[in-house]
Amino acid sequence: MTGIDVSKADPYFVGEIMNQPGGDKIRACFSCRTCTASCPIAAINHTFNPARIIRMALYGLKQDLLKSDFIWFCSSCYACQERCPQGVSITEIMTLLKNMAIQAGYLPAGIKSQMDIIKGEGRIYPIDDFDNKKRGKAGLPPLPTSCEWVKELFQ
Amino acid sequence: MCPVTLPNEYDQGLTNRKAIYKKYPQAIPGSFAIQKTDPAPCRLACPAHLNVQGYVQMVAQGKYEQALGIIMENLPLPGVLGRICPRPCEEACRRCEVDDPVAVRDLKRLAADQLDPREIPIHCDPKRVEKVAVIGSGPAGLAVAYHLARKGILSTIFEALPEPGGMLRVGIPDYRLPREILDREIEVITRLGVEIRTNTALGRDVTIDGLLKEEYQAVYLAMGAHQGMDLGIPGEDAQGVCQGVDFLREVNLKGSVKVGKRIAVIGGGNVAIDVSRSALRLGAEAVMIFYRRTRAEMPAWAEEIEAAETEGVRITYLSAPREVLMEDGQVKGLRCMRMELGEPDASGRRRPVPVPGSEYDIEIDQLITAIGQRPDLFALEGINGLHFSGWGTIEVDPMTWETGRKGVFAGGDLQTGPGVAIEAIAAGREAAESIVRYLDGREMVKGRNVPDKKSEYRPVPQDQPPQSRAHMPTIPAEARIRDFSEVEAGYDPETGQREANRCLNCGYCCECYQCVTACKAGAVTLETHAQRPETLTIKTGAVILAPGFQPFDPAGHTAYAYGRHPNVVTGMEFERFLSASGPTQGRLVRPSDGKPPAKIAWIQCVGSRDVHACDHGYCSSVCCMYAIKEAIIAKEHAGSDLECALFYMDMRTHGKDFEHYYNQARDVHGVRFIRSRVPAIDWTKGEHTLVLPYVDESNQIVREPFDMVVLSVGMEAVTADLAGKFDLALTEGKFAETPTFSPVSSSREGVYVCGAFSGPKDIPQSVIDAGSAAAEAGALLSEARNSMTTEKQVPREHNVSGERPRIGVFVCHCGINIGGVVDVPEVRDYAASLPYVEYVADNMYTCSQDTQETITKAIQENRLNRVVVAACTPKTHEPLFQETLVEAGLNKYLFEMTNIRNQDSWVHKDHRVLATQKAEDLVRMAVAKVALMEPLEDFPLEINQRALIIGGGIAGMTAAKSLAQQGYGVCLMERGPALGGQARNLYRTWKGEDIQKNLHTLISTVEANPRIDIRLNTEICDAEGFVGNFRTTLNSGDGGRETIEHGVTLVATGAGESTPDEYLYGKDPRVLTHTQLDQRFLARDPALKQVQSAVFIQCVGSREPGRPYCSRVCCTHSIESALHLKEINPDMQVFILYRDIRTYGEREYLYRQARMAGILFIPFSVEQKPQVSATEDGLKISVMDRLLGEEVVITADLLSLASAIVPPGDETLSKFFKLPVNENGFFVEAHAKLGPSEFATDGVFLCGMAHYPKPIDESVAQALAASSRAVTLLSRESILMSGMVAHVNPSLCSGCGVCVEVCPYSAPSMMSEGPFAHTAEINPVLCKGCGLCTASCRSGAINLKGFGEDQIMAMIEQS
Repeated sequence: MTGIDVSKADPYFVGEIMNQPGGDKIRACFSCRTCTASCPIAAINHTFNPARIIRMALYGLKQDLLKSDFIWFCSSCYACQERCPQGVSITEIMTLLKNMAIQAGYLPAGIKSQMDIIKGEGRIYPIDDFDNKKRGKAGLPPLPTSCEWVKELFQ
Repeated sequence: MCPVTLPNEYDQGLTNRKAIYKKYPQAIPGSFAIQKTDPAPCRLACPAHLNVQGYVQMVAQGKYEQALGIIMENLPLPGVLGRICPRPCEEACRRCEVDDPVAVRDLKRLAADQLDPREIPIHCDPKRVEKVAVIGSGPAGLAVAYHLARKGILSTIFEALPEPGGMLRVGIPDYRLPREILDREIEVITRLGVEIRTNTALGRDVTIDGLLKEEYQAVYLAMGAHQGMDLGIPGEDAQGVCQGVDFLREVNLKGSVKVGKRIAVIGGGNVAIDVSRSALRLGAEAVMIFYRRTRAEMPAWAEEIEAAETEGVRITYLSAPREVLMEDGQVKGLRCMRMELGEPDASGRRRPVPVPGSEYDIEIDQLITAIGQRPDLFALEGINGLHFSGWGTIEVDPMTWETGRKGVFAGGDLQTGPGVAIEAIAAGREAAESIVRYLDGREMVKGRNVPDKKSEYRPVPQDQPPQSRAHMPTIPAEARIRDFSEVEAGYDPETGQREANRCLNCGYCCECYQCVTACKAGAVTLETHAQRPETLTIKTGAVILAPGFQPFDPAGHTAYAYGRHPNVVTGMEFERFLSASGPTQGRLVRPSDGKPPAKIAWIQCVGSRDVHACDHGYCSSVCCMYAIKEAIIAKEHAGSDLECALFYMDMRTHGKDFEHYYNQARDVHGVRFIRSRVPAIDWTKGEHTLVLPYVDESNQIVREPFDMVVLSVGMEAVTADLAGKFDLALTEGKFAETPTFSPVSSSREGVYVCGAFSGPKDIPQSVIDAGSAAAEAGALLSEARNSMTTEKQVPREHNVSGERPRIGVFVCHCGINIGGVVDVPEVRDYAASLPYVEYVADNMYTCSQDTQETITKAIQENRLNRVVVAACTPKTHEPLFQETLVEAGLNKYLFEMTNIRNQDSWVHKDHRVLATQKAEDLVRMAVAKVALMEPLEDFPLEINQRALIIGGGIAGMTAAKSLAQQGYGVCLMERGPALGGQARNLYRTWKGEDIQKNLHTLISTVEANPRIDIRLNTEICDAEGFVGNFRTTLNSGDGGRETIEHGVTLVATGAGESTPDEYLYGKDPRVLTHTQLDQRFLARDPALKQVQSAVFIQCVGSREPGRPYCSRVCCTHSIESALHLKEINPDMQVFILYRDIRTYGEREYLYRQARMAGILFIPFSVEQKPQVSATEDGLKISVMDRLLGEEVVITADLLSLASAIVPPGDETLSKFFKLPVNENGFFVEAHAKLGPSEFATDGVFLCGMAHYPKPIDESVAQALAASSRAVTLLSRESILMSGMVAHVNPSLCSGCGVCVEVCPYSAPSMMSEGPFAHTAEINPVLCKGCGLCTASCRSGAINLKGFGEDQIMAMIEQS
C-alpha cells in the first residue's frame, strides 16, 4: 500500500461490515492498538496487524483487504476481542472479512488446497495404516482412516 | 495500647493502624476517633455477654491480667468456664468464613492459668446493710453472690452438700475440671465477703420464710437439677443399677466408688460420657454406652465422645435397653433392642423406632443410667407463691427472674432444667441486677431490654490468609485412665498468642478500655466509648453534595495482575510510596523485595475509556496529569537514573500550564511517553520483573521488562446511595447530572453538587465547583445571612509591655520532612540554651490541631510572651500559629517563624550535621528577633458593598447575576456594544443545549435586575484604591467619564479566537475557523447541505512552540460540529485530523458517538502536519496517518480549523489593578489549585477565559466561584488589615521622596500641609509591608513594624 486516496476508497465498505454479525461495532475503534499488542500472530509476523486491518476497513480500503493474504493469518484466539476496551468484535470481523473475500472470489491458493483436502479426506492430515501402527506402538487407539461424515457436512 | 490492628486506609492498606486512630497527622478534625460497629458476634452469642473480642485481644498481647479483668467483669470463674464451657461464642465466630473459629474457651483458660484469679483486683461498691440468702452454690448461686458483692450487698450461700460448687463440683469429673481450680475460683467470691454454709439444706436446715424473717431481705433459689431420671424398664431396682449423677457425685465427693467389671451406660449426653470415662479410671474392664439414636444426634460434645473412644469406651448406637436381667437381685445383664430412625420429633431430631424382633442380651454387672436430670423440688413444694412448670422446673418472670413470691428469685438449672454453666452464670448476673433494684425499691424492668442482634461488622477481608486453629495438647490416652489428672494441658503462651491473633476483630474496637487507662488527659473515657452514631435532623434551605469519588478497583482487570503481583500498584498506592508520611517514608522501593526500582511503567486509562472490561466509557480527566507528576517526583526521589515510561492513548493535559508540564516531563526530565495501550502484564510467580507488551511507533510489537507498574486508575462515581436519597438524575457514567448553564445545580431544586460527584475532575475544577455551590446556596439563602451566627470569643490580650521576654521555642519534625535530616531534639535542646528562652518542645507535626492546644497550654502555664516556631513556611502556616497565640491571650505579632524545612532540610538532605547546625543558626536568629518584637495592632477597613465586573460575557454576566441575587450592587461593564461575549458565536453545547437561547435568558435576567448597572461600550481609563475601596474611572463610548467606587473587582475579560496563518486560511473561502463554522450553523446556511466531504484540523496554533498551551475546548467543539454536519447531511464524509483527542470527562461519550456516526479520526504528529492545497475539485488535504504510517489524501469541500484561543493581549487592566499575567497572556490566579478564582491582590477576582480557555459550564462555575469569593469580603462591613506596615518618623524624614517612587503599591505620599508638611506619610491600607521604602530611606526615617532595624541587626549579629 502506498498512500491512501480517500476518494478512491469504497465508502460503503464499513457499512457492509457493520451489517454482518459481529461487525456492528467496528467504528467504535479508537486505534489504541491493544489488539495488536495482544496478538500472538502479530508477535511473529508483523504483516498481520489487527489494528491496521480495522483502520483499513474504516478507510474503505475494500480491495486491499479482501485481496490480501494477511486477513487469513488470524488464528481466532480471541485475545484481541477479549481485551478491546471499546468492545469491538475484532475476531468476528476477521472471520467476516474472510467470508467476504471468498464471496468476492479471493481465496489464497494455500487455503484452497486445505479446503480441498478437508473435503476429500475429512481432515487436513490424512490418517493411514502407517499412522495407526505408530499410534498402536505408543499405546494409543487407532483413528478412522476416512471421515465420511465430514464430507457429508460439506455436501 | 490499642490491641486492634487494622489496615490503614490512608496508606491504601499498605500500613497498619489501630482501632483508635487519626486518619493522618494533619487531618481535620485533628483528633482521634474509635472505630466501632456492633459488638462482635461472639460477644452477642455468649449467654453472659462476655467481651470475648476484648479478652482475646488481651491474650494476643500477653496481657493476661487485663484479659482476666475483662472476663471477670461478667464471670467470676474464668478457669472453670475456660475448661467446661460449651462455647456458643465459637459457633458465632466469623473466622469460620475463612477456616475454623478462634479457640476462645482455650484462650480464656490460658489467661486464667497464667495468673491466680484471686489476685485480680475486683472493684466493689461500698458495703450495704442488706443481706441476701442464696440457696445452692452452683454457677447460678455463685454468680448472683459475686455480682451482688460487687454492688456492696453480701450474701450467704446455703449448700446442701458438704462441698460448694454444685454441679461444677459433683457433676464434672476432675480430669476435666480439677478441684483445685474450682476451689480457687470459689475463693474469688468468698474473698469478697460472701459466706458459704455447706451441709445446710433448704427445707431441712433452713426455710424461705425463716430466712426472710431473720437477717435476709431477699432469697435466690439455685439448687440445680441433681435428680436422675429413671429408664422406666423392668429390673431397674436391681443391685448394681445406679443414676449417672449419683455416681458422679459420689466419685467427686469421695474420690472413689466401687465399680463393676462390665458396665453399661445408658444415654448420649455429657453425663454418660463423664460416667464412662470415670468408670474406666476407677478400674472397670469394659464400659459400653448404649444410645438409641446415632452419633449425629448425640448431645455430648464431639471432642468428649472422641476422647472417650480414645480411652476405650465402646459406644453402641441405635440400641435401647428393654429390661435389666438379674440374678439374685443383682444385675446380670441387659436386654437391648435395635432401633432405627423415624420421623423427627419435637426436638427436631429423628425419633428412634424399635426394630421388631431385634432384642438381644448382653452380659453386664453394673448399669448406670444417664438419660437426664431434673430439679429436686421436695424442699419447695407447697411454699406460698412458687409455681412450677410441667417439666418440674420453677417458673420466674423471664426478664426479672422473680418468682411469684415477693423477694424470692430463682435461676440456673432449677429454672431451666439441666443446662450449661454459662447460662446459669448469666441468669445469676441478671438476678443480681433484679435483687439490687428490688432492694432499692426501683423499677425492675426499665432499661433491661435484650440488645438486638445486629450484624454490622467489619467485613471479613477477602484476602485473609487461612491459618489453622491451635491444637490443644492432651496427655496420652494410656496415661489418662490411670487416674483423674487433667487431660487437656492448656496452651503455652506463645501458641495462645498466635491463636488469639487469628481473631478478625469483627467489631473493630474490642472495648478492652486500655485506651481509657492510658489517656492521661482523661479525653478517652468510658463515656467516649459509649458514644453511638446519632441521627440528627437539620432544617436547611439548601444542600450541597460533595462526597467525591472512589478510585477504580483494578482487581477485576485480571490481565493487569493487580493484587496478584506485588509490583503492580495503583496510582493512589504509588502516591503513598512517594509520600514522606507513607509506608516507606518516601523511599521509592519495589514492593516485592524492597529494592529501589530501575524502571517504572505507568499504564493509563485503567478503569477509564473502557466499555468492555468495565462500564466506564468516560475519561477520568485527571490520570494523565497525576501519572506525569508521579513520574517526575519518582525521578526526583530516585535520581535521574530511574527510567519512567508512560503508556497512553491520548495525552490529556488540557489544564492551565499542564501542557508545559507534559513537555517538561518529556524534554527535561526524560520521561518516555509511548502511545500504545498495554493489553496485559506478563509475570511469573516469584519473579520481580514484569513484562509489558506494546506496539511502538513503527508498528512493531515490543516486550519490555519493568520493575514496577503503576496502574493509573480512574474515578468511579459514588452517587448510588445519595442519588437515591435525594432523587437525583444521573449521567451515563452515573455521576450527578448538571446543566451547562447551571453547572452545580442537580436535578433537584436547592440541592447543589460539586467536585467529582458530578463528573471526573481535577482539584482546580473541584475548588471552582465548591465556590459555585457556595454562591448558589448563598443566593438562595441570602435573606438568612448572619441570622444564626455567633461571635467568636477570644481571651483578652495580655499586656506584655515592660515584661522581660519569656520565649517559647517549638521545633517541628514535620514527619520526616525535617526530622529525617535535622536532629530535631538537638535543635530543641540548643534552643533551650538561648537567652530568654523559657520553654522548648519538639512536635511531630506542629501544625496539627492537638499541638495548637499544647502550645496554648505551654504559653499559659509558662507565662510565655514570645513564641518561635521552627518549622515550614510562614506563607502557609503563620496565620495558624498566630491564631493560637491569640487563643492563648498573646498579641499575634509576638511571634516568629523560621523555615528549617524548605530552606534547610529539603535543600541539605545529604548534610545532616550541617543542616542541624543551620537549623540552630536559624532558631538563634529567630529568637534574637522575637525578643525585640512589640505588640502590633491590626486596624479595621471599611468595605464598599458594590462590585465592578469587567467583561460582559457569560462569566461576567453570571457573576453579576449571582452577586445581585446575594444582595449586592454591581456595575457590569463591557467594552463592546452588546452583552454575550464569545458565546454569541456559538451554536450548541456538547450536551446538545441551545447556546443562544440560554444566552438570551441570561442577558435578559441581568438586564432586568435592578441591582445590576450595565455599561456597554465602556473602557477603564484609570483605577486606584485597594480592597474595599476601589475608585475606577470609566470611559463610555461617547466620551463621558465617570468614577465609580466599589469594594471588589471581578475580572472576566475573556479570550478570543486566534487568526490562523496556515492551511490556506484567509486564502480560500472553503477554509473556516471553528467559530466561523458555528456562525454558519446559526445562520442555517443551506450550502452546508451540499458539502460532500468536510475536514477538521485540530490544534491550529495551539500546542506549538509559539503558543505551547492546549486550548481545551476545541476537541469537543470540533466533534460536536462534525456531528452536526452529519445531522445536516448523513452521507457527508467527515474527517477530524488530530494530535490527541482531549474529550475529557464525560465528553468522551461524544467522541464515541462521533466515531459510531462514521466520523473518521486521523492522528498526525506536529512534525508532520497536514498539507492543504486548493484544487478545482476541492481542497486537497494530505496527512500522514501516524497509525498506518501511510499518507492519506482527502478531497474536501470544507475545512474547519480549530484555531487557538488567545487572551485579548491588552495590558492596561493588568497595570491598573496590578494583576500578573503569564507568558501566554492569561491572568495568573492566587493559587493554581486552591485559589483559582481570585488574584493575590486582595479584593480582585478572576473568572472565565481570562483565566484560561474553558467551555461554558466551567466559565459559569468559575464566575459563581469568583462571586462567592467576593462575597466573603462584601458580606462583612469591615475587615482587619495587617499591622505589619511601614511607618514614617516625620522628624527624621528629609522629604526626599524616594519612598514615593519605589513603592509598587503607591502607599507613601508627601504631606502638603500641617506641622510635618513636605515629609512622607504612608497609607497603611495600601502598604503590603514589603520593606522597599524602609530599605531605600536614606534618613532612616521609615520603620517597618515587625521588622525593626534593631531586630534585623540582632538577627545579623546572631547569624
